Amino acid sequence: MAASTGYDLIVIGGGHNGLVAAAYLGRAGKKVLVLERRRVLGGAAVTEEVHPGFKFTELSYVCSLMRPEIIRELDLPSHGFQVIPQDASFTPLPDGEYLYYRGDHQEAVQAVSKFSKTDAENLSSFSRVMTRMAKFVAPMLMMTPPDLHSLALTNLLRLRELANHFLSLDEEEIYTFFRLMTMSSADYLDAWFESEPLKAGMSSSGIIGTLLGPRSPGTAYVLIHHYMGEIDGSYRSWGFVRGGTGGLSYSIARAAQAAGVEIRTAAEVRRILVRDGRAVGVELANGEKIYAKGIVSNADPKRTFLKLLEPSDLPADFVQGIRNYNIIGSSGKVNLALKELPKFKALPQAGPHLTGVITIGPDTDYIERAYDDAKYGDFSRRPYIDMCIPSTLDPTMAPAGKHVMSMFVQYAPYNLRKGTWPDRREEFGETVIDTIEEYIPDIRKIILYRQVITPWDIENEFGLTGGNIFHGELTPDQLFFLRPTPGWAQYRTPIKGLYGCGSGTHPGGGIMGAPGANAAREILKDARFGRV
Amino acid sequence: MADRFDIAIIGGGHNGLVAASYLARAGRRVVVLERRSSLGGAAAVEEIAPGFRVPAGATFAGLLRPEIVRDLGLAGHGFEVLPFDPLVTSVDEDGRVLRMWRDLGKTQQEIAKFSPKDAESYGRFHAFMLQIARLVDPLMLRTPPNVKDLTRGEQVFLLRLALRARRLGKQTMGQAVRFPQMALRASLPEWFESELLMATLAVDALIGRSAGPFSPGTSFGLLQRYLPEVHGNSWTFVRGGMASLTDALARAAQGAGATLRTDASVARIVTEDGRATGVQLESGETISARVVASSADPKRTFLGLLDHSELDLEFRNRVLHTRTEGGLAKINLALSSIPDMKNDGPAPPRLRFGPTLEYLERAYDDAKYGRSSANPYLDVAIPSLADPSLAPSGQHVMSVLAQFAPYRLRRGSWKDEREKFAERVVGRLEELLPGIRKATIARQVLTPVDLEEKFSLSGGHIYHGEMSLDQQFILRPIPGWARYRTPIAGLYLCGSGTHPGGGITGAPGYNAAREILKDWTRRAG
Repeated sequence: MAASTGYDLIVIGGGHNGLVAAAYLGRAGKKVLVLERRRVLGGAAVTEEVHPGFKFTELSYVCSLMRPEIIRELDLPSHGFQVIPQDASFTPLPDGEYLYYRGDHQEAVQAVSKFSKTDAENLSSFSRVMTRMAKFVAPMLMMTPPDLHSLALTNLLRLRELANHFLSLDEEEIYTFFRLMTMSSADYLDAWFESEPLKAGMSSSGIIGTLLGPRSPGTAYVLIHHYMGEIDGSYRSWGFVRGGTGGLSYSIARAAQAAGVEIRTAAEVRRILVRDGRAVGVELANGEKIYAKGIVSNADPKRTFLKLLEPSDLPADFVQGIRNYNIIGSSGKVNLALKELPKFKALPQAGPHLTGVITIGPDTDYIERAYDDAKYGDFSRRPYIDMCIPSTLDPTMAPAGKHVMSMFVQYAPYNLRKGTWPDRREEFGETVIDTIEEYIPDIRKIILYRQVITPWDIENEFGLTGGNIFHGELTPDQLFFLRPTPGWAQYRTPIKGLYGCGSGTHPGGGIMGAPGANAAREILKDARFGRV
Repeated sequence: MADRFDIAIIGGGHNGLVAASYLARAGRRVVVLERRSSLGGAAAVEEIAPGFRVPAGATFAGLLRPEIVRDLGLAGHGFEVLPFDPLVTSVDEDGRVLRMWRDLGKTQQEIAKFSPKDAESYGRFHAFMLQIARLVDPLMLRTPPNVKDLTRGEQVFLLRLALRARRLGKQTMGQAVRFPQMALRASLPEWFESELLMATLAVDALIGRSAGPFSPGTSFGLLQRYLPEVHGNSWTFVRGGMASLTDALARAAQGAGATLRTDASVARIVTEDGRATGVQLESGETISARVVASSADPKRTFLGLLDHSELDLEFRNRVLHTRTEGGLAKINLALSSIPDMKNDGPAPPRLRFGPTLEYLERAYDDAKYGRSSANPYLDVAIPSLADPSLAPSGQHVMSVLAQFAPYRLRRGSWKDEREKFAERVVGRLEELLPGIRKATIARQVLTPVDLEEKFSLSGGHIYHGEMSLDQQFILRPIPGWARYRTPIAGLYLCGSGTHPGGGITGAPGYNAAREILKDWTRRAG
């Protein structure tokens, strides 16, 4: 096939970060081509009609972290992006009790006081502290991490910016931040609260997507992310994207296209072409070669550096660093097509409690035990489940009167000690149904279709190494200036003209768009100096 | 005694004595008040059968700061370390034995039996750990800075530290930042493949801590193993047991003019207008002093020895929520003889059983849910092999550290559980050293509950509080109060609950004395 040419930049992978990077680069006047392996855009942020009439957002399911500045700058709403606020939080308990509240803070306080008056009182100050932390962390998400070693001027300026940002905290806040970075969510929350359903609900946010339990140090940090939404004015502002999370990806794609970006689907990149230590193009699976001045990879670090490149293209210690990068997946998804709304033992009638996040994870020990199973290479006998029914808010997701239920299930470790995921997929699905049956006794009667996605499927279908939804564990040893590997957190790579823009770069996974936007900024900086 | 002292020190543990020495040497009139009838706190030796003297608390002396040994002339006061070799002998379930020696080359040869690749890696790993240890070592004798208000001296020190870190090179520096935050389960496999080697190293990082090798941040604990090597030391016994360190420290303190009183249990710290003015003993006697320094742990000091009204609620809450629940039990045996190892010759000075990382983690799983470990891991010392004076001729004493024995049991109490747990430990010992049960003349079992009672350690935590990253350096004992001072003027902390934490280092006492003297001069001037 003839070689095409003339692009400034090629983006490998049409996930949300790749599209964000492309959109920013296109807006800066660059000629950009996005290459997506699958037939649909969005990577892990996709929505597909898996069962006739039922649309499943297969992997990611809620949207709270998307950076508001990106939504604004790319003008996503005018490209069809719409978030339906999802403000309800419902935690049914095995004994038929439940914790349920909607959006506003007062209601949460009231719901919590059913379990503990002290906890209800502490909720306000807790939320104040966490919001302050979120305000501190938010700008860091859009920062390029400094290199700890380099004495280059740009780097020293970055270090100073970081130091100044740090010193914007008062002494107390600095300690809180250090503690959040080093403590387990269970320990951190124990100092604030006493009632189990509340603590479990909160600490679960610290373990989502990681192979760690609520008692593992480092998980407290993720609590901050839950308060990001509050900065933009609404309490724990989770939301569904109209049309599923895929709707977000397509709105970014439209914004990119409006900026002149070319997007090709069903275009799998087989390798990155390197000449004299410089990335010069890509070769597709069909043999087609496409050249550009720079290559931007939205694929995860292991895929980018160990699959799309030859080890000889890279320094040995860098390759070792990438090999050591921890990217073992720990979660799966079970999506259900339902004949009707499920009836929870705790709150059987239909109502707004079915429109928000429904959590199966009644106490900290429950989640920790689920983790214990996974530690030793098996899926949890009683997993932690984050469930939602997007069709209650967006009727376009299912035929009239019917529903789709999306369940994020943890733990499902990528490496099983016994058997393989393809063999045990349905057993895993059964375990999940068994688990929710304890809360929704009639669930089996209303299931029309079941889709089970294991880490193995996530790797094979979506190209995420290890089936890790965040492109690598979000633990402190792999965050900020250590992501993906120490010394390479500035979106650049040892190969000139090759950049990373996916969740394997700072600030990591989740539907944030920040890695894509940050990478684009660095690429444009290099372009000004004629390096791309 | 109506004598007014300059400084009253609560607790005659090693840190209290170190602080006393330095303060007395600076000309202050110092009194040390020890609740028990003997000094030394957890650096104590007890006779569990006639002529059998066992370490009731600490066993090894490798971490003691060489600066303190030198300044106080401890050698002249009878302190003598007894190095032993191999440093550790580790056994797995199949009876394979790994010995780690003082000599690196010899250790590598030993590792090569398990994996030639690991033997090579261990050389690099050892060098890497020493690089980090050298970097961290100067922090041991520094006062943690106030992050918002760095003095000129602190700025210079930190800048130097950063430059020294930079000199390690980009690669090593990056790894040095990353490594301590990792779980042992994540960091060790980057270097090694042999389970026994990884588990043997992991035990060093986990002893005394309530964490498993799968917990992030546990790699940090490995530093303790390599810190002594910065000064050319390693793990050692003490001639005459740890009590002779105490004796040497006591002589040094007395030589400098400090008064040491035993059977003087402090009931409370006396304050006046928010200022510590002395202490009151259980006997009712009041001893007034311009400064009170407590080597008791922070919970005991703030929640036990001070009136509720002296501290604001927020501060008390902070102290209350520090993690101080121990998970370590100590089992001491008086032995008529030492059985040989199963198929492997005479028993070594330090024997370890904790064969795989998963084994260690499963032991911790039990502790997480408030149970003692069904299969505990053991770190066994036989000090009498190096120092025959600890037992009657030809006989021996053995001291076993076993994890986990969580302070708080969800079911039952330690009263019922103590002997059951000890039996599990001895059962395992019998497999390692067949015949040991028969050779046992006397046995002492110390669970965290016993350690709490015996040594007044809150939660029975041998380090006066968990040594995890969230309770280190500027966060120890609680954020904002890491500089040995307290919200009460004239009251200082000088025990293991302060930076740099537990273990027989003497560093908290040394650092606290320096801060007390600094304030003294300031106030005088």
